[in-house]
Amino acid sequence: MPKRMALLLAIIILASILVAPALAQTPTPNEVNAIAKELWCPLCNGVRLDNCELQACIQMREVIAQKLAAGESKEQIKAYFVQQYGDVVLGMPTGQGFNLVAWGLPALVGVAALGLLAYVVRLWVRRRPAAGQIATPGARPVSTSAEEYLKRVDEELKNDQ
Amino acid sequence: MTDLGYVALVLGLVLSLYGVLASILGARRNLPELVASGRNAVYVVGGLVLLATLLLWHALLTDQFQLEYVATHTERSLPTFFKISALWGGQAGSLLFWTLVLAGYAVAATWFFRSQQPSFKPYVNATLLLTIAFFLAVVLFAANPFARLWRDAAGEVVTAVFRPAGTVPLIPADGQGLNPQLQNYWMVFHPVALYLGFVGLTVPFAFAVAALVTGQLGNTWIKLIRKWTLVPWLFLSLGILLGSQWAYIELGWGGYWAWDAVENASLIPWLPATAFIHSIVIQEKRGMLKVWNVVLIWLAWELTLFGTFLTRSGVVQSVHAFALSPVGPMFFAFIAITMLGFLALLIWRLPLLRSENQLDAVLSRETTFLTQNVIFLLIAFATLVGTLFAPLSELLLGDKIVVSAPYFQRVNGPIFLALLVLMGIAPLLAWRRSAPETLLRNFGLPLAAGVLSVPLTWLLGNRNAAGFVGFAALAFVLAGVVQEYGRGVRTRRHATGEGWGVALVNLVRRNGRRYGGYIVHIGMLLIALGIIGNEFYQSEGQANLRRGESITVANYTLTYRDLAASRGPNYDEYSARLELSRAGRPAGELLAKKVLYDKNPDQPMTEVGLRPGPVEDVYVVLAGFEGSGETASFKVYVNPLMSWMWVGGLVMILGVLVAAWPRGTGAAAEARGRSARY
Amino acid sequence: MINEPIRNPAARDASSPKSAIPNRLPGWAIVLGIGVLFITALMGLLLLKPPQKSLCDEPAPDWSLTLFDDYRGGWPGDTINLTDLRGKGVVLNFWASWCKPCEEEAAALEAAWRQYRDQGIVFVGVDYLDQEPAAKRYLARFDITYPNGPDLAGRISKRYAIRGVPETFFINPEGKLVGCRKIGPLSEEELRQRIAEIVPK
Repeated sequence: MPKRMALLLAIIILASILVAPALAQTPTPNEVNAIAKELWCPLCNGVRLDNCELQACIQMREVIAQKLAAGESKEQIKAYFVQQYGDVVLGMPTGQGFNLVAWGLPALVGVAALGLLAYVVRLWVRRRPAAGQIATPGARPVSTSAEEYLKRVDEELKNDQ
Repeated sequence: MTDLGYVALVLGLVLSLYGVLASILGARRNLPELVASGRNAVYVVGGLVLLATLLLWHALLTDQFQLEYVATHTERSLPTFFKISALWGGQAGSLLFWTLVLAGYAVAATWFFRSQQPSFKPYVNATLLLTIAFFLAVVLFAANPFARLWRDAAGEVVTAVFRPAGTVPLIPADGQGLNPQLQNYWMVFHPVALYLGFVGLTVPFAFAVAALVTGQLGNTWIKLIRKWTLVPWLFLSLGILLGSQWAYIELGWGGYWAWDAVENASLIPWLPATAFIHSIVIQEKRGMLKVWNVVLIWLAWELTLFGTFLTRSGVVQSVHAFALSPVGPMFFAFIAITMLGFLALLIWRLPLLRSENQLDAVLSRETTFLTQNVIFLLIAFATLVGTLFAPLSELLLGDKIVVSAPYFQRVNGPIFLALLVLMGIAPLLAWRRSAPETLLRNFGLPLAAGVLSVPLTWLLGNRNAAGFVGFAALAFVLAGVVQEYGRGVRTRRHATGEGWGVALVNLVRRNGRRYGGYIVHIGMLLIALGIIGNEFYQSEGQANLRRGESITVANYTLTYRDLAASRGPNYDEYSARLELSRAGRPAGELLAKKVLYDKNPDQPMTEVGLRPGPVEDVYVVLAGFEGSGETASFKVYVNPLMSWMWVGGLVMILGVLVAAWPRGTGAAAEARGRSARY
Repeated sequence: MINEPIRNPAARDASSPKSAIPNRLPGWAIVLGIGVLFITALMGLLLLKPPQKSLCDEPAPDWSLTLFDDYRGGWPGDTINLTDLRGKGVVLNFWASWCKPCEEEAAALEAAWRQYRDQGIVFVGVDYLDQEPAAKRYLARFDITYPNGPDLAGRISKRYAIRGVPETFFINPEGKLVGCRKIGPLSEEELRQRIAEIVPK
């Protein structure tokens, strides 16, 4: 009967759609590299995992391939490696304890430096003998740019003589 | 013959120390003959260092393997070109090379200023000679290129300059060869450019010392050293770029900068040096920042020493650091002494440094320069923290916490972006004060350009958020520069009636500093363009291919044709030929190679198959192969905009040439200089 | 207020009668001075860094190792602590499946384990920066039966300041390291000699 046939067909199609991904295909090197690009060789100094030719790195990439085939996500795989090797595999310290110094110190110094700069600039502006305040727009009658233009013209003409 | 080299160095050390004393004593006691003697010492020491270097070169070129340095860095079948570059291929030789460059700069500066500034010169000479003396001491006592090989009674190999008791000379039949990573043309020019940069900063520093000692902290010393700062700065920038180019082409990972400790050591001094180039402009125009400027150049100079200390002492581990040596403690001593000495000098001269700095307004070009200075130093600090974090954490915690590129990218990336934007803002603000009504006039076009870049790049296919920001910043800065040029030319034409071309040329000629500086900024923009392209738009792919199979990345297809083996003077080369096609149309061939050097079979080198282009580079690496190439593994990268980085370097050279081109001497030039707008 | 006598600057600057140190050092000079001293101290520390922990003839750092399944070596639980092994001599061997020299000593280690386990010697293998599948393949290949486990996050390796593999430590029944670490593959002869030093009486 057509209706039942249609239903059966639909079930078969649906089933194959659901089953197909589970027929784990070996991940391509590109898929492995997409994850290996975000990891770092724990034995080397600053060599990315997808560029490392050490036996240990090759094995790590094999494990990535296996985990991808098993359906793990990138985050899961990265977390696994962090558990195995520690933060070194992420290439940067994660924020705990002393590691915070790596991030905090530049931030702290940056804020302090810019703050100091702001203070010093204000101080130097206040030192101006003529006006005790930062210049107000109405202080100069002529627009500065036109003045500059004319000044430059004068200068250029002078230089030509 | 090589004993002569050793003797020359010893003599050089003695004479440089003499020169330091003679110069200082002569200046203090007002004895011109003594000062002249000190000056002559510079020439003689220069000659002696040159002699020693020539002798070492001769030894390298004639395979004198009884010298340890020659035996460990060359081999008989090494091409002559690399025997020459082997001079800076190792610790001892590169230190001698550093000394040679330093002596060269000292001789050049002494000769150039021979009839100027009699009050400065003794102290300039003294500083230069003291630095030369230090490096000679390091070469002689910690890393001597003239040390020979001896075999003792027990059959052990001993290294010493003079024969130790109970040993016989040992002359190996062949050398160990040069590190394969150094056997390419970049490694010839990259260290040379870097050294010309690092070492060259000693000259402006020496003048800063002289200015402090003689109390002449006005614009005199600034004017004198302008070109002597620009030129080393250019070489340092080029050196860094050449190193990036080497990494790009030779290391084969599709990138050019890994924030490796040695790379950072070259970047860190560049940052205060660039800040210095800008802040001396403020001193020249406004008489401000006298203390800041001497401190800045001192910082830049100390950081060059610190950087080389890091790479040579074994304190940080790096892919390309020198081996452990006694060099470290000596650098430590010199850096510590010079730091304390300079600090003492500053404090001694404190009364003279009391400049009443003032600003007319917060919204001014001065403020942007000051902000830029602070930002440059912040980047240097952050980079230093990251570089030292591993040895420091090991020291303090016992646990080595390694910091790699991701840290630096996250920390420095945003700061560099801010710097880029600042570079665009500065020309749009006037000196002293920018009236608010002019702000719209000045900022209008650049802001519009920045905003318009968003739909423009969207239309060109950009979907990357960070990319939008980057391109907008670039457009903003570029528009500002173009606007400056446009206004300058228009003003000239208005005043003189010249044609566009003539007006442009004359504008640049008369205001070389300013417009040359803008050209350098454009060079920086091009470098930033390459960085943005590589960071955010790189595509890659990897595949194992049999002959005839293809891999497609972006819209390029590479078909593996065959693998050919060939033989070079000291290596075996395996060359994979791939046909490139773009969107179906053939686009030539690429050769991706693996090179195995005879003396280093465990360290195969990669030769990237590169097809550069204005829009993107196609970049192929032969990762490996089986048998005689039935299957081969390839990594393919498509790097958009990468070539613009190298073009940026060329533009920077042009910019510095324009900025530093001599414009004659005498009153006319002085007047021009005073009235020049920058 | 800082009243300082005229400091004697570096040798090259003879004192000038005209200059005088002001009564107060400006803030920036002090900051700079502190910075200079800090950098000097830093460099000194970096250079004089404590040498790699020798760990010779001193109490063995404690550790806790979670064992691989199937490679418990007869151990009841799935975790071993060094303190559990008090009273036995311990041969602590760091290895990795990607380590070629480790393969040279694998057979000798296993043979010695089988020979000495009744005399109160325990062999413990610590798998350094490795992957479980490859590690298990390695253990199966050399038919290793003594307890082995992965060194997660390299904690144990850091405590023993491992620079590479293989490295082996010999711990006596009182928990003290006897002799220094052995770097490189062990020969049967050397293995026997060092085990003799830690056999419980």
